[in-house]
Amino acid sequence: MSKDKLFVSPGPHISKPISTRMVMLDVIIALLPALLAAAYFFRLRAVIVVATCVISCVVTEWIICKVRKQPSSIGDLSAVLTAIILAFSVPPMLPVAYLIIGSVFSIAIGKMVFGGLGNNPFNPAMLGRAFLTACFGMAMTTWTVPANINPELPQIGPKGATIAEKYQDQGLEGITEATPLAWTKNAIKAKTLEQAETIIKENFGHSQLKAVLIGYTGGCLGETSSLALMLGGIYMLLRRTITWVIPVSVLASAFIFAEIFHFFKPEVYVNPLFQIFSGGLLICAFFIATDPVTNPMTTKAQALFGIGVGVLIMLIRTVGAYPEGVMYAVLIMNAFTPLLDRLCKKTPIGGVPNAA
Amino acid sequence: MSQHIGAPCKPTVAKRQEVKAGDVIGDSDAFVSAKIHSPVDGVVKDIANRSHPVLGRELAVIIDVSEDNTAKLPTPESFENFNLQDYSQEQILNAISEAGIVGMGGAGFPTSVKVAPNEKMPKHTMIVNACECEPYITCDYRVMLEWTKQFIAGVKLIQKASGCKEVHIGIENNKPKAIAAIKEVLANTSDSESIDVVTLKTKYPQGGERQLINAVMGKVVPTGVIPPMIGLLVCNVATAAATAEAVVLGQALTHRAVTVSGKGIKNPGNFYCPIGTSVSDLIDHCGGLTDDAVKVVLGGPMMGFSIADLETPTTKTSGSILVLTKKEIGKANYLGQQTNCIKCGRCVGVCPENLIPCEIASSVKVRDLDRANRFNMSACMECGCCSYVCPANIEITGLIKTGKILNARNNRK
Repeated sequence: MSKDKLFVSPGPHISKPISTRMVMLDVIIALLPALLAAAYFFRLRAVIVVATCVISCVVTEWIICKVRKQPSSIGDLSAVLTAIILAFSVPPMLPVAYLIIGSVFSIAIGKMVFGGLGNNPFNPAMLGRAFLTACFGMAMTTWTVPANINPELPQIGPKGATIAEKYQDQGLEGITEATPLAWTKNAIKAKTLEQAETIIKENFGHSQLKAVLIGYTGGCLGETSSLALMLGGIYMLLRRTITWVIPVSVLASAFIFAEIFHFFKPEVYVNPLFQIFSGGLLICAFFIATDPVTNPMTTKAQALFGIGVGVLIMLIRTVGAYPEGVMYAVLIMNAFTPLLDRLCKKTPIGGVPNAA
Repeated sequence: MSQHIGAPCKPTVAKRQEVKAGDVIGDSDAFVSAKIHSPVDGVVKDIANRSHPVLGRELAVIIDVSEDNTAKLPTPESFENFNLQDYSQEQILNAISEAGIVGMGGAGFPTSVKVAPNEKMPKHTMIVNACECEPYITCDYRVMLEWTKQFIAGVKLIQKASGCKEVHIGIENNKPKAIAAIKEVLANTSDSESIDVVTLKTKYPQGGERQLINAVMGKVVPTGVIPPMIGLLVCNVATAAATAEAVVLGQALTHRAVTVSGKGIKNPGNFYCPIGTSVSDLIDHCGGLTDDAVKVVLGGPMMGFSIADLETPTTKTSGSILVLTKKEIGKANYLGQQTNCIKCGRCVGVCPENLIPCEIASSVKVRDLDRANRFNMSACMECGCCSYVCPANIEITGLIKTGKILNARNNRK
């Protein structure tokens, strides 16, 4: 380099090799185990759902950038991430057309109208899912249990309903079945105590924890395998892509909440560990609530945010009308994010300077 | 003529005048100022504006070095038999002032003003900043290692002059050799009872006064308060060494140790060179630039100033010259792609002053200075950590610097 081509800029002159794309890529890598699990349990269906979401999200973002005559921002991979999280939080058998509608809504209304990545107040994937729930309520609550699966695996459901054996011969990919959380809900909604007890005993009589841990259960595409999700979460924590604050506060507050209910009425409310491993709680704790854009910035506010999400999820699950509350819990807390940031304003070390 | 905080000096020499090494060439009547001396024998060629690493362009005295100039060499051996009792407080203060010594860590506050006992703010504790302020720089480390006795003598002299009762030498644990050397000298010389060595964890930023005081004494300095107001005196290794030279040998501050480093330089090293040596001379001495060098920085990689003109002279506060390659700079060239702030909070996590840098930066970007001030912009010390970690590649520190300048401009109106 010749001397007259020196580069001048304000300091610092060195930097950490990190970029927005790398942050997003890390999260996508962390989602891979869950993707593999989904592909294992739901076979081709998983591939179709994820591919549809990814393609429609990226194309939507690209078109919007073109229309607004802006440089394309698909390179930051955030659209891909939104797509995968959306795909993971819908029922596996959701029609492709619905998936496309959800993806377009996520990106266009959830993110781009606010000015793109970083300016969206709500988690785009959750917003897309909420839109789908509002539009296609029936399809969004029709769950399937993977059918062509090894019958040796621990199972969940009423005794004797060995789903796998029953349907394997018919070559089905999945069968419609309620989710573990729906049974939980039924038990809570049951009119009498005996009724609730029967539901719990029938459905959670054997191996239920193992089933939700490995993922052999009804539920959203990417939520079923807790093990795979935890693997991804640990990867992100080790890579410091996320901090421990939000996952721990979400999980701890949900656990404590569930434990209190379980402690007083164990015949109606299931084991708190089961609550943690089923439904979308883990994907929420590690992947959705940790979305940097829509959660607060200071540690204190992040902890409050996490506790809010955890408690809201459990409130909806136990007291609310829906069996699962991740989506609404996250969206509600997203709305509180600016408030929390304001509430937890940091004081500079040594106090506030008097000369402003 | 402006190598320190305070009033710039006025040249005291005329064009074509002959000067000897150590002659005063710039002086000022102001209280907060420091004399400037010629480091060489020669003839004043010109008095004109020249590039200045920080201030853009400043008045400078340009001296043609005469052929019979003898290079000044470091004289650490003069301090073998140093005895503190030989020097009175007045004598020390006078020597510091005459030698034009300033804080050589980077700020350049005149040492005479800093050290002089002040009845309103009596100083009780002195902290020696022996943690190399920024990565890459090693000039203080070499001074501590090679001129240990001189350095310790300087520390004792400053302690005596300022009336501090105790001295802590704060040094990072990545310099075990220097720690051992200092401890040995302290054990074998007199008047070192009140001096102790505090080993600190290596981290950046630690060389800032507020960070250092916190690390050494566990004491938080209130925002907007300078250390003397709470009875503390912080001084740097090179300053102590220069003080010893000034008091014992009566020599002015005309030379200093400079680190020349970075991947863009062929033979990096530490050099004892005349103040005012141009950057290009030093680079040539080190074998010149490599082909992939893209940036020359005076000072450290985090807070230093990149320069466009290689003829820029070094000053009393230039501890290092870094030549960085494109690879070293990484994404910090700001021509690279920026994304929107993703509000990840990484800058919040690293800020040593507990600020929310991204909010200040975004406020400055839209020129909302009131909002920036509400986020305590003035408490920022511009360490650069926020820009360093930013995944969106936003020049947060640069924006905050801009905001402060705009603030100052508004206040002047």
